[in-house]
Amino acid sequence: MTTTYHQAQDVSRLSVQSDAQAMIAQAKAEGVETVWDRLAAQEPQCGYCQLGLSCRNCSMGPCRIDPFGEGPQRGVCGADADTIVARNLGRSIAAGSSAHSDHGRDILEVFARLADGEVGGYRITDEDKLRRVAHELDIEVDGASTAEVTRALASELMDNYGSAKGSLSFEVRVPEVRRERWRALGITPRGVDRENVEMMHRTHMGVDNDYVNILLHGLRTALSDGWGGSMIATELSDIMFGTPQPVTSQVNLGVLRADHVNIAMHGHNPLLSDVMVAAASDPELVALARSHGAAGINIVGLCCTGNEMLMRKGIPVAGNHLMQELAIVTGALEAMVVDYQCIMPSVVDVARCYHTKVISTSDKAKFPGATHVSFDPLRGDEIARDIVRSAIEAFDHRNPDRVRIPDTPVRMTGGFSVEAILAALGGTPQPLIDAIAAGTIRGAVAVVGCNNPKLPQDREHIELTRTLIEHDILVLVTGCAAIANAKAGQMIPESAAAAGPGLRALCESLNIPPVLHMGSCVDNSRIMQLAGALANALNVDIDQLPLAGAAPEWYSEKAVAIGTYVVGSGITTVLGVQPPIFGSPHVVNLLAGGLDEVVGAKFAVEPDPYRAALLIRRHLEAKRAALGLPSLSEDELLGDAQAATSEARA
Amino acid sequence: MRMVFVNPERCIGCRQCELACAVEHSSTKDLASAFLESPTPRARVHVHRGPTATSAFPNECRHCDPAPCEQVCPTGAITRDAAGALVLVDPARCIGCAMCAVVCPFDVITFHPLAGALDTTTSVAVKCDGCIERVARGDVPACVEVCKVDALVYGELNELIEQGRVRTTGAVLAAAGLSTPEWPEGDPLAEWRSFGAEREDAGARAHRLTSVHQSPAPAGAPTSAHEKEATP
Repeated sequence: MTTTYHQAQDVSRLSVQSDAQAMIAQAKAEGVETVWDRLAAQEPQCGYCQLGLSCRNCSMGPCRIDPFGEGPQRGVCGADADTIVARNLGRSIAAGSSAHSDHGRDILEVFARLADGEVGGYRITDEDKLRRVAHELDIEVDGASTAEVTRALASELMDNYGSAKGSLSFEVRVPEVRRERWRALGITPRGVDRENVEMMHRTHMGVDNDYVNILLHGLRTALSDGWGGSMIATELSDIMFGTPQPVTSQVNLGVLRADHVNIAMHGHNPLLSDVMVAAASDPELVALARSHGAAGINIVGLCCTGNEMLMRKGIPVAGNHLMQELAIVTGALEAMVVDYQCIMPSVVDVARCYHTKVISTSDKAKFPGATHVSFDPLRGDEIARDIVRSAIEAFDHRNPDRVRIPDTPVRMTGGFSVEAILAALGGTPQPLIDAIAAGTIRGAVAVVGCNNPKLPQDREHIELTRTLIEHDILVLVTGCAAIANAKAGQMIPESAAAAGPGLRALCESLNIPPVLHMGSCVDNSRIMQLAGALANALNVDIDQLPLAGAAPEWYSEKAVAIGTYVVGSGITTVLGVQPPIFGSPHVVNLLAGGLDEVVGAKFAVEPDPYRAALLIRRHLEAKRAALGLPSLSEDELLGDAQAATSEARA
Repeated sequence: MRMVFVNPERCIGCRQCELACAVEHSSTKDLASAFLESPTPRARVHVHRGPTATSAFPNECRHCDPAPCEQVCPTGAITRDAAGALVLVDPARCIGCAMCAVVCPFDVITFHPLAGALDTTTSVAVKCDGCIERVARGDVPACVEVCKVDALVYGELNELIEQGRVRTTGAVLAAAGLSTPEWPEGDPLAEWRSFGAEREDAGARAHRLTSVHQSPAPAGAPTSAHEKEATP
């Protein structure tokens, strides 16, 4: 099931990126333990857990179900494989949804303060969007002051978290046919916190034991993230920090500068990174950095914080998930400033081998061994300056002999918010709809999600994306998938040359890349919004559109939540890593089959990027055929795919 | 003689050996699909709890010689491999009489339909084959590979027994207060380095064997690695 890397001498099996390969080799040479070493030490991993057949929910257990039938078939409480697998999956969905939604709440709480004026360095940056979103949610904006609109919108969105309101504000963006489907299934989200808490309740011993019922609530919980917590995070971030517009920047470890104080922002919430970027350009602090012998202060991003800063400010990105330890191995990083989610506890241990300071900032995410600076957004600007000062001090301890920045940066374009995409299309989705209808573009696919050390880093993202654009499929990317494609040079307008003729023509006429960076992982809500808008424009349901999702290298519970709300919204999704559900054939059959009948979308698992591409293309062509659009036959699909595969092998 | 040896005091009852064994003896060798095969692949190692809830013993064929099962098998289905180390069952000859199970001192032979047998609907004797294919290609048996706590280890029998004996000796003497590991004094770094060099000189093997279960204790009468090796 998992590939064993501990015998691998060749770092090219661990990552396809040259900067990663160089730093993995360096870490090995210096005896610095990284994620790949720890995976090797864990392998072979627990078979029960891989199948989802272990349960630790109560102390009558822990229990396991023997998949081979000889041993126990029920936990102590009597739960069978179906119940246990569904409960475990349900809790993963709740954890992922909670992570996104809590991130959204943190932003919302600061946003609410802005009704009383600027605070902590935060302000309403995009007033147009404030009013547009408020108006969309039936808030009176005509004649209302900014403060009034802000207060009303904050109040409206805060009600999304509790039970009093009983529905999500952004449900208005969901096509009516889909909302009707949700109602019929009883999966319309009633409130963000409510669905998450209810999932924890249902999966307590002796509550919900019906795997179908648990999984339906899993859909509802995830939908409360995609159209709730995540969407609130995205929209308010745009209002507070600016709605992304196309922007050119650079990516890979080469963005670190040998003569600068390098600060890597790692984590997720733009509340922190926004004020950090401002502090790093504070003339007083730049002068301080110079007085310590540095040429200046260089802020770079990692993971989704990297995406947030890139999308809105064009800040260079040092790498995605599996680069977090390797960024420290460059010996050129003064500080890694983190908030929450996806930050490996091991960064502290790696940093101990260098002069790098790990500075944790969120009171809900502490890292033993790190310096903790409690980040109070109401004093955000002031704290950010303190953190930058602390990073400058670390520059004194840098050992120039250990600095090795492995690569030259690659150019990339990001910043494709829904607003930016519509603007690029001339203000209306019609050119895209026309191209899809004519067949010059076969459809659109969201390639999203993480890195996973079980796969060669970035390979699946890059190969799947390339294969899709070669076949005239527009690719939308977020999160670590976006950074992977950026490093591969597939996200500049010139990379349209690698696309099929139809997609190439469209991209060249609009001067956009064939792979559009839509943001961080909470920004998958942008993809939901776009899908809803396209469906509404065509007066169809989302599941009728030639769309698909892919999470080729996913690892996190947040990815489970995203995949689930994407499917629940009607978009079939292909996973590159097996989720821990295979211990229950019933659950597998439901997620990979039965779900299609009720929500019009399902999951598939396909680790091979070329086979995944074929599967996706077959799906898009079937959707095209059902809409009466010109579609390729199975023979044409297979012919193309074989040609592409042999080309790739050659 | 290389074989699977059990350190029962280390077994935490995780039953990973059972899963790994069943997967190894499946057609697909893939966990997610192996249990869907028909006939179901079966584990040949079984973990049962001992007298206390936290004790367990992974029980598998000890490959006896002479093997009682081999001696009583009426159809000659049980034989030794060419090297004489493993006791193997030929499912084509097995008539499911269970005489082997009757005489097995360890009760490790079970009866199940088996892929590869002449008739996959009747039960035949199923037992550990020492992962003969894995070992032939240089791997350790599947149960040993998956065991995270070294309850199951693989190697030369006498060496494995010796490792246990050395551990036991060290533990007994330490408990009796007759031996404590050396503890450096003075300049910690220099002392540690000379301590390490001294131990290295004393022989890497003795070092490895004695250090497994002896973490440094507070200062006491120094005992060199040489002396410890000589103690048993």
